[in-house]
Amino acid sequence: MKKQYAFLVDTERCIGCFTCAMACRNYYHQVEGVVWRQVYPLSEEIYPHRERAFLSLACNHCENPACLNVCPVEAYTKREEDGVVVHHQEKCIGCGNCIRSCPYGAPKYNPVEKRAEKCSLCHERLDAGLNPACVQACPTDALQLIDLAEFERTNEVQYPAGYPRMEELNPSTRFVLPKTPKMVRR
Amino acid sequence: MQSMELPLVVFTVFSQAAIGVTVMRAVRTTADGAGAEDHGARREWGLIAGLMVFGMLGSLFHLGHPLSAPTALNHLGTAWLSREVLFAGMFTGVTVLAVLVAGITGKPALAWLGTLLGLGVIVSAGMTYAPPALPALDNGLPFAFFLTSAVILGAGFGSWFAGGGRAPLMARIFTTALVVGLVLNLAAPWIWLSGGTVMRMTGQAWLGSAFYWAHVLVLLGCLGVVWKTRTIPAWLPVLALMGELAGRAGFFADTIHTAANMGGLY
Ligand code: SF4
Ligand code: SF4
Repeated sequence: MKKQYAFLVDTERCIGCFTCAMACRNYYHQVEGVVWRQVYPLSEEIYPHRERAFLSLACNHCENPACLNVCPVEAYTKREEDGVVVHHQEKCIGCGNCIRSCPYGAPKYNPVEKRAEKCSLCHERLDAGLNPACVQACPTDALQLIDLAEFERTNEVQYPAGYPRMEELNPSTRFVLPKTPKMVRR
Repeated sequence: MQSMELPLVVFTVFSQAAIGVTVMRAVRTTADGAGAEDHGARREWGLIAGLMVFGMLGSLFHLGHPLSAPTALNHLGTAWLSREVLFAGMFTGVTVLAVLVAGITGKPALAWLGTLLGLGVIVSAGMTYAPPALPALDNGLPFAFFLTSAVILGAGFGSWFAGGGRAPLMARIFTTALVVGLVLNLAAPWIWLSGGTVMRMTGQAWLGSAFYWAHVLVLLGCLGVVWKTRTIPAWLPVLALMGELAGRAGFFADTIHTAANMGGLY
């Protein structure tokens, strides 16, 4: 398998503090209302415990990206060297087709630029040997950068509850599921 | 409710009306031999070109950067939107050419070429608006909705140009398309209610939407009028157009995106 960078989201460790999402904002200063990384609480149907569990999600850098396939102006590319899906905003004409098509809601409309934008996995930081801003900021190590080509599978899943199953796209993000809490009785 | 996407409503409905009138023109003028009952060709092509150009101009308002619209042809390899733009551009070209060269009788070859390109527009639009992120529409439904709109509006407006001999044919096609449109629109949301969460949310949104019911009522009303009068009164296609516009606004506004339920059960 070719190199494919991906996010590993450890929902057992995630405390829903939004530091990852804030780090992304601090780094890129998106205009108001535009969010590249979002922390979604799991609904009670999925995780009925007071501790609560979260999915921290941005673009999944899919193997077969819907955004790239539907974009009429070729504003998306998937990097050969590491599988990162990059949006080239200067080419975008703001048709919104990627926004309508990505099942994970990763591309967002920037009303000031009148173009789409999304997480491009901090590829400039990767090229400089650094971690993405969100991964670097996570205080619990719940968010990590992995290379699926070398990643040794243990208990991770690709499609946890609360996340759309899209086999044709083959999203790269992997998840560690939250454990059921132990009841302690005195 | 998501965005109503007014420019897309205008583009899809007006282009489908133009394509429908072209298809009906091809059918009518060749129904019993080339050129049969073919008069007022320039006026009819004028309407077709007018509808199409209006739709194309409307679509530009949807773009953040309308001046770069021609670059939308860059990704014909996988993007159905690029293919839609290509077919729509070629179809517009044929309609304008037809206005210029049409005499009193018109040229059936142009109507058939327009029909072919118009079907290309409808197929590629059907694919464009059927993305994986909209489970209720990630299937043949957008194509079926678009084709029905084209035939309803085509037969409706086409009746303006059909002589007495061809008027009953237009009324029959109009009626059949109305029935198909009604069945599709009445069945789809109820079927979605038995699907996954996002499909169910879409079904509920459609059934609770004024756009949806306005569309259904207009389809029913048109059917009632044709049934009663056995003809298509000149004002009826305009009412049908209003209905299709309302239905299309609901199509964009009330269809739920998978991202709306992130963290919930799918
Ligand atoms: S998650 Fe969406 S935006 Fe990211 S690569 Fe996949 S389809 Fe494209
Ligand atoms: S909004 Fe921009 S990036 Fe998205 S599909 Fe349209 S042109 Fe491509």
